Amino acid sequence: MAYSERLPRESLLWIFAAQFAVLLPHFARLPLWIVGGWLLAAWWRTEVSRGRRELPGKPVKLLVVTAVVGGLLLSYRQWFALEPMVALLAVSFTLKNLELLTRRDGFLSLLLAYFVAATLFVFDQGIPHALYGVLAVLVVTAALVAQAGAGSAGPRRAIGLSARLLAQSVPLMLLLFVVMPRLGPLWAVPQEDAGASTGVSDSMSPGDFANLSRSDKPALRITFDGPVPPPEQRYWRGLVYADFDGRRWSQGFGVDPREGGRVYWSDSEQGLPEVGPRYRYQVIQEPTRSRWLFAMARPHSVTDGVGETRDDRLVRAEPVFSRLAYEVRSWPRDTINDVPPLSDFERRRNLQLPEGGNPRARAWARRLRAQDLSAGEISDAVLSVFNRRFIYTLSPPTLGADSVDAFLYDSQRGFCEHFAGSYVFLMRAAGVPARVVAGYQGGEWVDGEQYLLVRQYDAHAWAEIWTEGRGWQRVDPTAAVAPERVRDGLQSAAADEFMRDALLPLHRFPVLRQLRLQWDMINYRWYRAVVSFDSERQQDLLRDLLGRVTSVRLALLVGLPAVLALLGVGAWLWLSGRGRRPPPAARLYRQFCRRLARCGVERRRGEAPEDFVARVHRERPQLGPMAASITTAYQRAAYADDPAALKQLRRLVRGFWPSLRRG
Amino acid sequence: MQKIISAVVADIGKVLLGKDHQVKLALACLLSRGHLLIEDLPGMGKTTLAHALAQVLGLSYKRVQFTSDMLPADIVGVSIFERDSGNFRFHEGPVFSQLLLADEINRASPKTQSALLEAMEERQVSVDGETRPLPQPFFVIATQNPLHQSGTFTLPESQLDRFLMRISLGYPTREAERALFQGVDPREQLRKLRPRLDRAGLAQLQGLVGQVKASSSLLDYLERLVLHTRQSQDCPVGLSPRGALALLHAARAWALIHGRGHVLPEDIQAVLPAVAGHRLQSESGDGAQLVERLIRQVDVIAA
Repeated sequence: MAYSERLPRESLLWIFAAQFAVLLPHFARLPLWIVGGWLLAAWWRTEVSRGRRELPGKPVKLLVVTAVVGGLLLSYRQWFALEPMVALLAVSFTLKNLELLTRRDGFLSLLLAYFVAATLFVFDQGIPHALYGVLAVLVVTAALVAQAGAGSAGPRRAIGLSARLLAQSVPLMLLLFVVMPRLGPLWAVPQEDAGASTGVSDSMSPGDFANLSRSDKPALRITFDGPVPPPEQRYWRGLVYADFDGRRWSQGFGVDPREGGRVYWSDSEQGLPEVGPRYRYQVIQEPTRSRWLFAMARPHSVTDGVGETRDDRLVRAEPVFSRLAYEVRSWPRDTINDVPPLSDFERRRNLQLPEGGNPRARAWARRLRAQDLSAGEISDAVLSVFNRRFIYTLSPPTLGADSVDAFLYDSQRGFCEHFAGSYVFLMRAAGVPARVVAGYQGGEWVDGEQYLLVRQYDAHAWAEIWTEGRGWQRVDPTAAVAPERVRDGLQSAAADEFMRDALLPLHRFPVLRQLRLQWDMINYRWYRAVVSFDSERQQDLLRDLLGRVTSVRLALLVGLPAVLALLGVGAWLWLSGRGRRPPPAARLYRQFCRRLARCGVERRRGEAPEDFVARVHRERPQLGPMAASITTAYQRAAYADDPAALKQLRRLVRGFWPSLRRG
Repeated sequence: MQKIISAVVADIGKVLLGKDHQVKLALACLLSRGHLLIEDLPGMGKTTLAHALAQVLGLSYKRVQFTSDMLPADIVGVSIFERDSGNFRFHEGPVFSQLLLADEINRASPKTQSALLEAMEERQVSVDGETRPLPQPFFVIATQNPLHQSGTFTLPESQLDRFLMRISLGYPTREAERALFQGVDPREQLRKLRPRLDRAGLAQLQGLVGQVKASSSLLDYLERLVLHTRQSQDCPVGLSPRGALALLHAARAWALIHGRGHVLPEDIQAVLPAVAGHRLQSESGDGAQLVERLIRQVDVIAA
């Protein structure tokens, strides 16, 4: 088949099918005009094949390329990011249709389709995407199969052949998956950093509309190596809000690592407590597009690129664009004995309040302060008020300018952000250093796989106050209002409101909940086994398999299955080619021949028994008579099918032990 | 029965001195209802062998000397208008005999050759739209000169295949030749030969050939041989199923001649050069050498 041959019409349909299969998942992400462009290019090429139109000439192509580059610039405004790059690839792939002339072009387009199919995994590596990727590869391979030969392979045959090819490649794929070195990218295109998409954001403003995340998407999956913390200990700290501007809580200068917050990147920079950690766990975090990681207080991580801040959080050097796994060890605060005193700067920062506003709250705090109470007693006083008068709801009213006052004295309805924010405000006004901590609280224990599933709706905000001698202490004001929120999670605290705005109240059906949990479990396994299989885990696995990883052992690991497979094929060929076992008479006669050969008379291949025995007579006359009777018996047994002769032959051969001595 | 066969062989041996093997092969060929091609130089006793066989077995014998201007009618016969009766009457050609010696068959034109070969295969001839059976038994001994001699038309492979065996007699041994010089004229001897068998006896012997046992071990060997001719690089042409069947028949007849009720590999090896030589030969390879190599390379005993 000549590559320069013109592309037959059936091939064109196959190529379009393959293109559609690989572009389909991208269509949701790409600007709409690219979809239109693909349709247009495909239509044009079809018209060409029907003889109604010519392929575009150079000027038209130039115009199209210019328009496309302009369109990409307009759509993305930024060039060196992942999505514009994928869009560029998709557009080039699309435009290639206008040059699809020969078989060679068709091959090029299909090989490019594999590449486009691979870009699918840049955005998502979940199971549905992986399955779709397999489907796309199946279609592309089928299209390639259909190109081979006269281009006349039927769809079923092509798909079937393609499936067989892919199935045959599975063992090789698995082997390569295990042994192929995991190289870091040579160059990386930054992914678009379009805002946080998690239940925990950079700042919180409880006064504004209650935009609490009610998504049940997973946020964290945590596996424990050793003891599992009880539910009331499961506070996964992510952010500390130290700065309040009267309406919005944010991290503030000196806390946010982007604004001068100190981060310890290596072990030696910050000493670890002397006693061992109580909890060891691995967190698998869904992509958040931000740098905050989540862990229990006082965390320490040995994972590369993860650092600790001074306020006991973990941050990452790069934003988390894809699922990230990190190892954490935690020392709960009550296990740490020596607490360094709060520096003046820290004290000032955690007492910071805006100049004016919220007079009623400030007045209450001043009254509390005047009673000369300890930090704990002030806190208890505030919490008891919360407990008596406040209502936990997921849909509180919006609050006015003095949001703390409005919440404390008017609405008295709110969720964790309201309670945490106003609590910290009161504490600070009463002279107790305090800060808001945001993160996740709780989680659902998945028995089957032994991990804790934390969902987006587990996002939570709580407070920490400084007490002399004991250091920072966690206080959860929400727990004073709705203890079940902390104990059993959001769903039981706000059963009526929970996921009210969901399209379907799926969470109300236990069966569906169970199914979703199962699905999450499968996802978790998938991620653990496949997606997070990086060079480190590869080394671990190889070490498990080989003991010590040396090049010889690695070569054995790769070579041994290959050699075994080849040996298997060889043995099969040999066994199937060998045919059946020779009949007993022939076996006995061969035995006789072997014994004779040992004393120097070897039967030649084509030498018939009669001729052989004549030669025996000539060469070893004293063996002649015995050989003659054996030969006669053999001839009768093998060629006259005489059973008595077979018995006789057996007897004769068994007794035939010619002496090696030459006579 | 065995006695008769030995007597036949002995009788012919008196005429054709020192050629027992060839005589037995010719007899085996006749017993397995095949035709024989003798390829040799003139004066080696081809005609004598044919004549002696006819005499001893009591067969009607005719001889045709093939020439290049011969026509098919010269062999098959022709219908001639007879003025007396006012009818056409068919005059049988030499083919209507029990043993036909077709001398120097390769001197005839291909047309005439094929007329004879058709008659050999079908055992009947069709003249003027009328089918006439040939006498039973019908046995052709054709002779041909070695191919390089001048004025010959080579028999094509498809027609060589019609002959069960091709043998050559070869020069006699020294002793045989001396005996020939000293003894009575072979022609005298030939005239003295008396039939040892009648027609029924011959038919009975031919029937016995089919009853000779060929065990599965033997058939395995036969299979290996045939397969080797088809797969080996040595043999440009493999043995056809007809060739393989011919080999088995000939081996059975050979075993019968040697007084055995079953076939041995030795029987196959004995008849193999005669049966397979002309079937395996091609421009690139001499049949006899191929067969010799074949016997050496294929193991007699199953592995």
